[in-house]
Amino acid sequence: MLEYESKEIFSKFDIPLVKNILILRGEDIEDKVKGFSFPAIVKSQIAIGSRKKAGLIKIAQTQEGAVSLCREFFSRNVAGFTVEAIIIEELAKIDQEYYCSIALDASERQFYLIASKEGGIDIEEVSKERPEAIIKLNFSYSMGLTENIARAAATQLGLSGTSLQLGINIFLKLWEIAKKLEAQLVEINPLVMTPSGLIAVDGKMILDDDAAFRQPIIQNLQERKLNELEKLAKKVGFSFVELSGEIGILANGAGLTMALLDVLSDLGLQPANFLDVGGGASKERVYKALELIFKLQPKTVLVNIFGGITRCDIVAQAIIQALKDFSDAPPMVIRLTGTNEKEGIALLKEANMDAFKDVMDAVKKIKEVLSE
Amino acid sequence: MYINENSKVIVQGITGKQGMFHTQIMLNYGTKIVAGVTPGKGGQEVYGVPVFNNVKEAIQETSADTSIVFVPARFTLSAAMESLNAGINMTCIITENVPVFDMIQLVEKAKEKGLFLIGPNCPGMLIPDKIKLGIMPSDMCHYGDVSVISKSGTLSYEITKAIGNSGIGVSAYVGIGGDPVRGITMQEAVAYYSEDPNTKIIVLIGEIGSNEEEKTAELIKNNVSKPVIAYIAGKSAPEGKRMGHAGAIISGDVGTAKGKIKALKDAGVLIANTPWDVPHVIKEIL
Repeated sequence: MLEYESKEIFSKFDIPLVKNILILRGEDIEDKVKGFSFPAIVKSQIAIGSRKKAGLIKIAQTQEGAVSLCREFFSRNVAGFTVEAIIIEELAKIDQEYYCSIALDASERQFYLIASKEGGIDIEEVSKERPEAIIKLNFSYSMGLTENIARAAATQLGLSGTSLQLGINIFLKLWEIAKKLEAQLVEINPLVMTPSGLIAVDGKMILDDDAAFRQPIIQNLQERKLNELEKLAKKVGFSFVELSGEIGILANGAGLTMALLDVLSDLGLQPANFLDVGGGASKERVYKALELIFKLQPKTVLVNIFGGITRCDIVAQAIIQALKDFSDAPPMVIRLTGTNEKEGIALLKEANMDAFKDVMDAVKKIKEVLSE
Repeated sequence: MYINENSKVIVQGITGKQGMFHTQIMLNYGTKIVAGVTPGKGGQEVYGVPVFNNVKEAIQETSADTSIVFVPARFTLSAAMESLNAGINMTCIITENVPVFDMIQLVEKAKEKGLFLIGPNCPGMLIPDKIKLGIMPSDMCHYGDVSVISKSGTLSYEITKAIGNSGIGVSAYVGIGGDPVRGITMQEAVAYYSEDPNTKIIVLIGEIGSNEEEKTAELIKNNVSKPVIAYIAGKSAPEGKRMGHAGAIISGDVGTAKGKIKALKDAGVLIANTPWDVPHVIKEIL
């Protein structure tokens, strides 16, 4: 989720923000910045890690400066991502920076309210190096974040007087957001103390893809981190990750596919992708998976199927069909075992192809193919 | 006790495609499926199994104590909650893509009631030749004294089959699933089988993501005297990419295979380098 989307949510839940304007791609920049006071900070909204390093967050001294910065940012392309929107923000007068978040610890199956007097920092690093600088208070889903816990955290942060109540309110709102949007993380970093009170300067959220059916906001966000081929795979419903090697991989089962990649890497062989074709795959599905893998133009393709609900004969049929249709397909090495393996291997034999029963034999064959 | 050959099983979602298909296979295996539950379909039969409208009725009529859930993700919370509220000892959720916040509520309920919950997105449990509560292949292995605990499905089938093919028997196969929030955790399963009199050796199949293997290593170091063998998938996985399972993602240096292997080794766990090495490592101990 991008900063501006988090901020839209914060603002819906009445969490105080720095005064800002949002310019979406295609909107009239001059019209939008009219009347805003400068200097101000101009922040690109783009799905990459470090915007500052990429020169996509800069300070504009004047209105004209801001307009030209916006034009520049919208024309940029970093690692295949473009700037979707820009936020221009007042420079906040900062007395003190804080960190605060609500995070789910999945393995503890608990939520934590996390806060620190050290804002703007990488919280994970601080928690490793100086855990004493971090306040962490746990609570269950059914109990929820209580006012008492929120008060305890705000007090430990050193907030007092009117700021204390402001802090408590912000913490309670973070929980309200987490609960309503099913977020595993809702973070304000930094939360800053200004002469006019506590203000959220930057924020982040992690939502649950599996809740997309009842959380429409998630649906748009899902696709953003994927490249073109990964998007295509998602449409068909494969788990697919593009890697940088030369061996195309078609396998079933996420864990088994990972294990196969490990075996290859241990031998110095580089896979071109991770692809789990899923359980009970149809001929069409396997065919589409091969089509996708061929797009990566690998030197060879390794098929590793352990047939449970997936049938080896159906996989064999798809392979034969794909090789018929794609005359430029790379050489393939196939390992089939499990349900209907005899039928599958027989089909391949008819088409003049071999199938291995043992993975290690198939991997050896891959090595041979690559050295040819 | 998780399950045994006398467990009386309800299939929730028995009239759906998956529920029906696996009911037949489980029945063939010898699992005592005593009832099915699908709201609105009470009075029907599936492979001779009577269908009820709700879990409570099914328990009254059949004294069922175990449930396996095949309903779609969006109905899983209410189906599994019904099972827990009715006091079912073991609820096994096969369904994948169950929202995390639904699982949190189910896990809290199971804890509160002192009941077992396994899954979601898991293959289930198998006590070879005795009971199959799940969707794993039926012919992987015979009964013996190695218990297999796994986060992944197909990979664990491959390993369990390799164990079976090498002539070693299995006391229990437990697929806990790869989702971030789930019922029985790896630590809980290891603790359970370290106390199980029928288990002599524990095989652990883990993968990248979370810090569960590290926590399990700590438990093994302090509390487990039985030999433990582990295989961890994802040594070559890139950071920040979800490798199929919802939980299988390395963030920063948390969740790496390297870290998990080191923690397990330090706890005295024997590491198999590939899935197919697992039976060899078991034989070294025997």
